[in-house]
Amino acid sequence: MDNHRIGETNADILVLGIGNLLMGDEGVGVHFADSLLKEFLPPDVEVLDGGTAGIQLMEAIESHRHVLIVDATLDGLPAGTIREIKPRFSSDYPSAMSTHDIGLKDLISGLTLLGRQPEIFLFVVSIDKVQPLEIGLSPEVNAALGGLKAKVFHRIEKIRSGNSGE
Amino acid sequence: MSANRIVIDPITRIEGHLRIEAEIQNGKVTDAYSAGTMVRLLEEILKGRDPRDAWAFVGRVCGVCTTVHSLASVRSVEDALDIVVPPNAEMVRSIMFVAQYLHDHVVHFYHLHAMDWVDVVNALKADPKKTSELAQSISNWPKSSPGYFSDLQKRIGRFVESGQLGIFANGYWGHPAYKLPPEVNLIGLAHYLEALEWQKEIVRIHAIFGGKNPHPNFLVGGMACAIGLDDASGINAERLAYVDQLLREAKTFVEQVYIPDLLAIASFYKDWGAIGGGLGSYLAYGDLPVNGYRDESSFKFPSGVILNKDISKVYDVDLRKDEEVQEFVQRSWYKYEGGDDKGLHPWKGETVLNYTGPKPPYEHLNVEEKYSFLKTPRWNGNAVEVGPLARVLVGYARGREDFKEVVDAALSKLEVPVTALFSTLGRTAARGLETALVAGWAREFYDSLITNLKNGDDRMAATEKFDPKTWPAQAQGVGHTEAPRGALAHWIVIQDQKIDNYQLVVPTTWNASPRDPEGKSSAYEAALKDTPVANPEQPVEILRTIHSFDPCMACAVHLYDEEGQHLSRVQALG
Repeated sequence: MDNHRIGETNADILVLGIGNLLMGDEGVGVHFADSLLKEFLPPDVEVLDGGTAGIQLMEAIESHRHVLIVDATLDGLPAGTIREIKPRFSSDYPSAMSTHDIGLKDLISGLTLLGRQPEIFLFVVSIDKVQPLEIGLSPEVNAALGGLKAKVFHRIEKIRSGNSGE
Repeated sequence: MSANRIVIDPITRIEGHLRIEAEIQNGKVTDAYSAGTMVRLLEEILKGRDPRDAWAFVGRVCGVCTTVHSLASVRSVEDALDIVVPPNAEMVRSIMFVAQYLHDHVVHFYHLHAMDWVDVVNALKADPKKTSELAQSISNWPKSSPGYFSDLQKRIGRFVESGQLGIFANGYWGHPAYKLPPEVNLIGLAHYLEALEWQKEIVRIHAIFGGKNPHPNFLVGGMACAIGLDDASGINAERLAYVDQLLREAKTFVEQVYIPDLLAIASFYKDWGAIGGGLGSYLAYGDLPVNGYRDESSFKFPSGVILNKDISKVYDVDLRKDEEVQEFVQRSWYKYEGGDDKGLHPWKGETVLNYTGPKPPYEHLNVEEKYSFLKTPRWNGNAVEVGPLARVLVGYARGREDFKEVVDAALSKLEVPVTALFSTLGRTAARGLETALVAGWAREFYDSLITNLKNGDDRMAATEKFDPKTWPAQAQGVGHTEAPRGALAHWIVIQDQKIDNYQLVVPTTWNASPRDPEGKSSAYEAALKDTPVANPEQPVEILRTIHSFDPCMACAVHLYDEEGQHLSRVQALG
């Protein structure tokens, strides 16, 4: 389950799964990252289990040209729905993607201020509820992992062909 | 508005939401209630699992405090099984602890708390030349030319106008409680960005020793890294030299940026040396052993309790004694088998839910009954504050020269008496002062590790008791540390090689818990009493005091006037 060493490869693309492993479906991003880490990955792709970290992910995010973030969302859509979003500003991110002091949104704001924001794609998986006490995924969300992988790699193909802009 | 804009309900990744209900009368807080509104049942997840795996689960409680929970966890198992950790592993743990402190406290100061004191929009009015003169008068930090500040101002101005960035859109800019001249605000803003750059360096130490970051690896009995000066693939002389360099750079940043900024900002807010004091009783478990975790006399942070602001006496702490640390649930949404009016020592702790609160969404909690998912810990029946101020006061009261030196220097520079420490300002200052101490101690841990390696000791883990067959049928242990936010301990009971009971008493539980059976408030509630609030729609004063504790939760502040009318609802990341 070790992550590839961030900053020690020349990968252009980062797949970053975030979420809380202790809160059931909320941890879908981490489960997804773990599943990719068990596979053989192309040399231009790095995968990171970002857990619940915020500002600590700065180096990982800024050291790649394209970052694909995978996260859960409570958006009222059926559990397991996958949407791909191209956020332009930090205000386009889910509202509570953050930990105690400075979260991912603030980090993105900070990177914008420093003029170092990579191209970011956000893949959100709809969940029904946050379940404390659960480590595994519900059947609905677990069933979405295959489709999620297809979408993420479809995006990676587009990035490689230089056709990633929307 | 962007076409891609989406609205999504909050999802909590962290231990729980914090909610404050404060009553305001004549511009002051008359009473306050602090509630954790999200349940945490980590204890139940751990029951029946292998004690050697617990560190990985507790490390996921929070994305920021992963190392401290993992450390407390492996220590609790080592204590239960009587495992002595080799010196190298102790030093590596201490160096990781130091890195955690340096990262956490700098990030807290610049990226959470500074905006309670620094008006970033007002910084646009600063004169870059005057800013440069001021910066050079308080520090030797090289990035201080008029051109540097002028360029920054232009860049920031464009973002403020665009309204796209949360940090500029969400503050109470222009509020009369902001007292800094534009030039100090500009320095604060410049260092907000420099600290953002800097913080990514220091966390590399966690990846070097813990294999990865976030969520580095720990190991019961030692650390899970191969180390040796000539080791080609593991942590060798070259990687260790890099750790040394990172620690040195961090020390420079703390000495030349954090501390001068802290003192410059504090000098405009001396009135906050008399606001937000609260309990006046403090608890520290101590940590950072020079001679191993079992030798408490070698702790850089000493342990102890101070009661009622009396620093002439420090009480000793014993985490094993049944009556010393106890948790109460009279006002918490749990039930105890033997009745809710009694306290339980964590080894006998119970975590059975009993939610009696209103169905969300709700306007008010019924604060006359149970009102929080946090339990209420007490030390010998006393409500106590934990955190940087507690640690610094205990070190000071124990007569430790290193503590006296930094504390007295700061007091004399600010021209305030020692009693000013019992306050919101004191809490924020103590965090900076202990960061300076920790940055200095780092050298000793590093040198000690290198000396040990040079002497030919490359042991990183004691493995003789890793096999559960060597364990007794029943064992119990306690592992403690000083997390950046305060005293943290995990209590474990092992039965037939499995976890039978596991209880975490975390710093924010000490500080943010509800009242005890006697009706006594914990630290947050006590500290908010008498806090002035100029404008209930923009309660920056309440945020100052709550943020001074560095709460480990997202924080929702709710204010009510004397008739119980809802005045405002303020979402603040805490």
